[in-house]
Amino acid sequence: MTPTVSASGLSLHYGRTRALDDVSLRLTPGVTGLLGPNGAGKTTLLRVLATAVPADRGAFTVLGHDPGTSRGRQEVRRRLGYLPQTPGFHPDFTAFEFVDYVAILKELADRRERHREVRRVLEEVDLGDVRGRRIKKLSGGMRQRVALAAALVGDPGFLVLDEPTVGLDPEQRMRFRELIAEAGEGRTVLLSTHQTEDVAMLCHRVIVMAAGAVRFDGTPAELTARAAGRVWSSTEKDPGAKAGWRTGTGSFRNVGDPPPGAEPAAPTLEDGYLLVLDDAGTEVAA
Amino acid sequence: MTIEDSRRGDAWHVDEDDLRAYARGELAAPALWSADAHLTACATCRGTLAAVSDTAALDAGWERLDAELDAPRPGRFERLLVRCGVGDGTARLLAATPVLRRSWFGALAAVLLVTFLVAVAAGAADRPTLFLACAPLLPLVSVALAYGPALDPTHEMAVVSPMHGFRLLMIRAVAVLVVALGVGGLASLALPGFGPAALAWLLPGLALATTGLALAPRLGPVTAPSVLVVAWALVLLAADAARGGGEGTLAPFTAAGQGVSGLVAALGAGLLFLFRDRFDVFARGPA
Repeated sequence: MTPTVSASGLSLHYGRTRALDDVSLRLTPGVTGLLGPNGAGKTTLLRVLATAVPADRGAFTVLGHDPGTSRGRQEVRRRLGYLPQTPGFHPDFTAFEFVDYVAILKELADRRERHREVRRVLEEVDLGDVRGRRIKKLSGGMRQRVALAAALVGDPGFLVLDEPTVGLDPEQRMRFRELIAEAGEGRTVLLSTHQTEDVAMLCHRVIVMAAGAVRFDGTPAELTARAAGRVWSSTEKDPGAKAGWRTGTGSFRNVGDPPPGAEPAAPTLEDGYLLVLDDAGTEVAA
Repeated sequence: MTIEDSRRGDAWHVDEDDLRAYARGELAAPALWSADAHLTACATCRGTLAAVSDTAALDAGWERLDAELDAPRPGRFERLLVRCGVGDGTARLLAATPVLRRSWFGALAAVLLVTFLVAVAAGAADRPTLFLACAPLLPLVSVALAYGPALDPTHEMAVVSPMHGFRLLMIRAVAVLVVALGVGGLASLALPGFGPAALAWLLPGLALATTGLALAPRLGPVTAPSVLVVAWALVLLAADAARGGGEGTLAPFTAAGQGVSGLVAALGAGLLFLFRDRFDVFARGPA
């Protein structure tokens, strides 16, 4: 399958800080999850791929266009939807006005066509009924959906979502996951998240980053399999475990190299993620 | 096309030709907006519209009307821009950007303040030196207030939009400059007894504004204008020292000084164009 995004050797430094370290990846249609702790370089990678920040080294293409040139950058942006980590709003705008404003920035010049598109994307995120309501009157979840609607204007082939479920309550998070799943049908979505549940429920593929580098790139099942035979239960926290925490049943769940005779437990995606981070030298103690 | 309301009986109604154009989807703004607003409330005109339209076109018209009911209602300023020939999208971009309103109102407030100070100072001296010294900062500060990530909450989304960052910057900068230079120019001419000499701030003002914008990607949207404010103050102090405390015109406001300002403005504009791609990406910094 021809990749939507193909990147090789992306590196970026902020002063002495290495934000991206030789990142190479290929993204295909569907939702790809980008997992990693704070400071792993997720947002930086997303900003580079969204053409907001140029990399120091390396190159990438989006749908065959090279953003290294001014013309190529514009072509990429015409095919891009971007939901930043903290989307900014003009709070006095209505939902319709805000998405309309973004649609103008996306060069939808014809007023009638633009308004039709604004209505379409607001319906797509289930905000058709509140399109005339001011953004400052909307809940956090609704604001995120307004921002998602803005990202969907123009039916982009490549959608970049930076931690869109942060700060949402469980019900809103579930609704937002449904929207992301729908958005991922027929287009390529790169979803940055802290939450392994997001990846488990949405993604056909997962990339784990730590310290600016890609530490794992595979399917969620493959990430889970990393923890096979390395998870066990105990009545006390095992001091030899790389991470351990008390579960709802009162027993401890441990991840690492099990001692002889340990009671094995079924691995989860989170266990695999913790072990990948540990292999990368990142603090994972729970 | 303009909307022609005609009187039938004792009520106003949309002209039939305009209704035919409306049904064909060919009625242009602002007549289109007037027709939309009128049709929602007037059964007579809806009946006329049905009579002059074919069914498919009428359905399309209702769909459009439905859409218009949710659409942002253009404010007076936006309608004025459209009537002045500004494109619909550009007018919306300008009218819907709160940060520009702040810049515009800031410019107006600054002009009023400076004009007041000059009027007070004019009692002690009959030269517009204070006005000329302060007025060039008006376009510089106005543009600075209208640009930058800290002032525009949608900056991150705007940067990655297909509209080139330089074009967006220019749309905003020109809109701000037109207002700042316009009200500043009017205030200059309104000053008592100074005549056209009071307009000698225009070229230094343009020079500062263009240079400030050109330096913004390198120094930042706050530091660049701040550096230029200091530089301008130093230029004025040096010019004052050069005239030895006399009553002559300060060098920047002489013919030679105006020439230098013009050159700096042209150089600033050239640098701005040369660095245009730097406005098309995010400022570098940790995420």
